[in-house]
Amino acid sequence: MHDVVTKSRDVTLLEVLDRVLDKGVVISGDAVISVADVDLIYLGLKVLLSSVETMEQLRGAPITGPMQEPT
Amino acid sequence: MALYIYGIIDSSDRINEPIYGLDGACVYNISYCDIGGVVSELSEQLQNVTKNSVLAHEEVIERLMGHFTVLPVKFDTVFDGRDCVLSMMQSYYRHFKDNLNRLRDKFEFGVKVIWPADKIKKRIRNSHKKNEHEMPIPDGSSNKKFMRKKLEKYRINEEFEKKANKFINVMDIFFSKFAVEKTLKKLKTENLLLDAAYLVEKDRQDDFKEAFEHVKSSQPDFKYLFSGPWPAYNFVILSNKNDLLKDSEQEDLFDRVIQQRELVGVDKIWH
Repeated sequence: MHDVVTKSRDVTLLEVLDRVLDKGVVISGDAVISVADVDLIYLGLKVLLSSVETMEQLRGAPITGPMQEPT
Repeated sequence: MALYIYGIIDSSDRINEPIYGLDGACVYNISYCDIGGVVSELSEQLQNVTKNSVLAHEEVIERLMGHFTVLPVKFDTVFDGRDCVLSMMQSYYRHFKDNLNRLRDKFEFGVKVIWPADKIKKRIRNSHKKNEHEMPIPDGSSNKKFMRKKLEKYRINEEFEKKANKFINVMDIFFSKFAVEKTLKKLKTENLLLDAAYLVEKDRQDDFKEAFEHVKSSQPDFKYLFSGPWPAYNFVILSNKNDLLKDSEQEDLFDRVIQQRELVGVDKIWH
């Protein structure tokens, strides 16, 4: 059973991208800016753009691309 | 110096194990009360999202996950120095604490199910055709034929969705038995029947994996992608409300933390 997880982790770059680029804590700049009144925080807009584009491509990928299943 | 933040952890302790993040920089914990923001120094702004940088981000979070409850921060969140991280931690302290408490000893698992959409639709179409033979279509104008085709397409799609819902419901019953929270996305594409994330308690992981094996064997025509354990990327709930601690609340909190630390024999709170 442990191997199932290990193997599935190895093959899930797509899953990593899906989570790291698309999910997680998004800290809104407002809260910080209101404290110090300067640009304290930089949230990468380019990441948002590239992730949407990447996801568009990748989300289609499993249909025709190789699927590695846990054994 | 810009600081790249990876995640929020339920500890204000120094990270003992050497962990290297983006640019190969060593990560460390910036503590605020009893929680911490894990960061590394960034020499220059990230120019491109590369596979290596994404994997470096994820690897740091996975290493932290081995020791702490982690709220993963979205990729490419950079602060202009330590004070800014502390300000952010102060602003979000309550939210972070709520989430850390809720997600303690729980992991996320990803389940993707791909079904043969073409085959399913073909089957539906064939069953409709069979019914048509039983009830022959009367001759009509091309407009009628066009409308009939449209209606047929609509009915096929409707039945396709019904079947999708049925399969998802059955699968979800098995998974939900061992999960505390879930996010389900149905038919993101025609073939991607289900894209789900389940939050599972640490000691129910094996039960959840067994449920997956059971579901997998019940529909061998489908393809499955199972992944995890992940930190709870899909289950961190943050409102945008600025919930800044008042000065008196902050002092109380610091006092409580100092008392607790003294109790366990640690006198240094801040790095």
